[in-house]
Amino acid sequence: MVSGGNASSLPLVGGSAEPTIRELSRPGRKASKYPNLDVPEVDLNHPALKNEKAPLPEVSEHDLVMHYSRLAHRNFAVDLGFYPLGSCTMKYNPRFADYVASIPNFSNTHPATPSEFTQGSLEILHILEDYLTEITGMDHASFQPPAGASGELTGLLIIKRYLQNQKLDHKKDIIVPDSAHGTNPASAKMAGFNVVEVATDQRGMVNIEDLKSLVNENTAGLMLTNPNTGGLFEEEILTISNIIHEAGGLLYYDGANLNAIVGVCRPGDMGFDIVHSNLHKTFATPHGGGGPGSGPVAVKDYLREYLPGPIVVKNSDNYSWYTPEFSIGRMHGYHGNFLVALRALVYMKLLGKEGLDTLGSYAVLNARYLSSKVSKHLPLAYDEPCMHEFVATVKELKKSHKIKAYDVGKALLDKGFHSPTIYFPLIVEEALMFEPTETQTVETLDDLAESIKLIVEELSAPGVNLTDYPKNLPVGRPNELIPAKHLTVHWGDFELLELTE
Amino acid sequence: MFVPHSNIDLNTIFDELKISSLEELFSHIPKELLIDGGLDFDESLSELEATELFETIASKNASKLVCFAGGGHYDIYLPPTVKSLTMRPEFMTSYTPYQAEISQGILQVLFEFQSLVCDITEMELANASLYDGATSIAEAISVAINKTKRDNIIISQGFNPNSKEVINTLIDGDKFNIKYIELDNYLFPEDYEFNEDDAAFVVSFPHYEGSAQDLTELVNKAHAKGLIAICYVDPSMLGVLKTPGSMGFDIVVAEGQSIGTPLSFGGPTVGWFATKKDLARLVPGRIIGETIDSNHKKTYVMTLRAREQDIRREKASSNICTNQTLNAIGSAIHLSWMGPEGIYQVGYQAIQKAAYMKSELKNSGFKIKNESTSLREFLIETKIPTSEVLTKMGQKGFLAGISYSDNELLIALTEKRTKKEIDNYIDCFKEVNNG
Repeated sequence: MVSGGNASSLPLVGGSAEPTIRELSRPGRKASKYPNLDVPEVDLNHPALKNEKAPLPEVSEHDLVMHYSRLAHRNFAVDLGFYPLGSCTMKYNPRFADYVASIPNFSNTHPATPSEFTQGSLEILHILEDYLTEITGMDHASFQPPAGASGELTGLLIIKRYLQNQKLDHKKDIIVPDSAHGTNPASAKMAGFNVVEVATDQRGMVNIEDLKSLVNENTAGLMLTNPNTGGLFEEEILTISNIIHEAGGLLYYDGANLNAIVGVCRPGDMGFDIVHSNLHKTFATPHGGGGPGSGPVAVKDYLREYLPGPIVVKNSDNYSWYTPEFSIGRMHGYHGNFLVALRALVYMKLLGKEGLDTLGSYAVLNARYLSSKVSKHLPLAYDEPCMHEFVATVKELKKSHKIKAYDVGKALLDKGFHSPTIYFPLIVEEALMFEPTETQTVETLDDLAESIKLIVEELSAPGVNLTDYPKNLPVGRPNELIPAKHLTVHWGDFELLELTE
Repeated sequence: MFVPHSNIDLNTIFDELKISSLEELFSHIPKELLIDGGLDFDESLSELEATELFETIASKNASKLVCFAGGGHYDIYLPPTVKSLTMRPEFMTSYTPYQAEISQGILQVLFEFQSLVCDITEMELANASLYDGATSIAEAISVAINKTKRDNIIISQGFNPNSKEVINTLIDGDKFNIKYIELDNYLFPEDYEFNEDDAAFVVSFPHYEGSAQDLTELVNKAHAKGLIAICYVDPSMLGVLKTPGSMGFDIVVAEGQSIGTPLSFGGPTVGWFATKKDLARLVPGRIIGETIDSNHKKTYVMTLRAREQDIRREKASSNICTNQTLNAIGSAIHLSWMGPEGIYQVGYQAIQKAAYMKSELKNSGFKIKNESTSLREFLIETKIPTSEVLTKMGQKGFLAGISYSDNELLIALTEKRTKKEIDNYIDCFKEVNNG
């Protein structure tokens, strides 16, 4: 192993459980110091105030720093090793963007500051809108949605409002593939639509015949990611968009898999009317342990006036905020996740034309290479050329040796890799979904394939206890029933549980 | 950029795939869809060139305006210790802790975040974050609708107008009746009568205008009619404010920016969401629980997963997936850094400084609209339109507040504002208003 493998897991190894910050607390210790009050003190007698102090931990600053640093050591990350988590695009996040996002004029600006004093921030959003619309083949964008799921809901609310304005209120069906991300049906439901599921065909793509049978005068639209969640390009996309458009429906592009096609082809050219992008995936902003993200929504010209506002417009000598005429309204308290958008623009500027023209190509190249290597040890779900990710299946090993996708994922952790996404898409049995991204080296990809080979051998050996995996990490497999059953979700709960059991 | 392959690497890959160019990867995509001639962009920048570009654009923002604006986002002292710990690459560059064995760091910090949020609000169960304060209110209202199966939302007018817009976007007005209640002299009317078809009582503590009241009796009255009581609290004031839990609220939400996140032009920040355990199965977003591993070691995992979109799909309690974890981590570390005395100082000094400023402004002939009921934030009448006040004060180096109406300005104080800054502000404010 030369990279991506064992070395990356070393910081995670060893040590006993880290106490909670509350367990480290001792009365009278403190990390903070504030200046003495510099205005005349008056008696505060107000019915909304309390007398007692808040029950927060009392720790020294060194204890605080050690505690959170030790916790950081117990966490895997893109900066430590290979994170082939399918559908999440865990590529390298350039450190340079951290610098730009910390420039005080960007990071310390109050969101209610009048636009005459925030021209720089408005310019950032304007330039980024130009980049995003060129990459996706759309015309206008709003940066209100703070994450992909919020972008989806935004798109669906735009469809709803647009259809209402066209007096087509009866159009209530949103068609979603059975392979779609869970956020798709959840967002459609939140927007008040009926969710209609379209089947996937043998090749792993939208079943055109099934689609035709589902489309009718009630069709409001279709949500699709292309490449789809099986990592396959929907080759019949132009047929699909014709079917939906002829029925008076709109096409929504789930941008979760945009990384595969940047510089290759564009959702706008495929017929999509609305597109959200996950800036934290495609444009390399840090995932932050689960967020923040940013899910800007771009639309074709005829939908501009429905965008959530305010959006930035460029005037002859300045930038200003503009609320579109039929806007669906705000999706966020202020301007969305501005600093995430800023980081995405930094990334695009560093890539430039040559980097963006080839971004999707290299993402696909790495996935195609890894799939070729992995397929020698595990069968792939589809016999089709993959795009930026691919799905393998352990269903045969499950039959022969009771080895599940879950077990392969856990064994990979021991070898210093993050697990691929498991059990997704739902339509593939015992699925392992790998997304290597374009920032991994050939050696790392080889290491992962080699590790899969070793794991298949190791787990198939006689006498192996699958539940022993992972073996070399700070904790083993968690008992997932206790917290759900006893709701041990607060540091006061667990002791209680021990007393009662 | 960031693609590591040398020509030797490319040959290795091409050999494995039996191809000779990148274009061959896309032979299965319809020809008419392939981009011809590439995208219309400038060539790439080096970091040095990009530094110049972005610093130039940043300089078009007014720099270092002394901040007297609030409305949910506050200029609170954020120690470098908190920033540098939050930006540890292990926290920054990981994702949702699906694999508990290699994610104990994120899981434990989030468990501590949930516990800290519960402790300072006196609630029982917090989630691992939502997008921001405004969207958290809408999520809380959805919980109340699902719990009560009723259609009327009783909500105070005393909210940031942007938050009200978000609520109006996210709560379907065709299905539900959102009834905004006017404040009476900047307080929610104590004699308000709830009905048995009302789902939720939603109120801000303090109100957007800065006034606050003990809400215990109103919550009792709401409970008597079966409503879910939802409190939107200013978290940086929880060192001095009565806790929402002690006033009986069922759900507490907050804009968490002031705890652990710089102002950031409003995003990314973090929404806090805390409630009682009996509402657990309706809670949106991720929840972290404590358990044991196969060797009986203490372990943290995501729990109650059956509420979430990736499992329940259209039956999920919310569509949220990516949340604001890193900002929640910032909140946890900042709360631990402040401790009971620090968070007390943050609240107490803000109120004292506001009291001083109100008194000085009054002495200078200005009218404070809610002097006695307000705490750290208050409304003042301006003598010229607020938009002019904001422009002219901005030119003098102040973010004077937030325009509340054409002639009313909302001013917020934090522990960071010094007497000197307040005195300078008032001098400029007099000049601007009389000028």
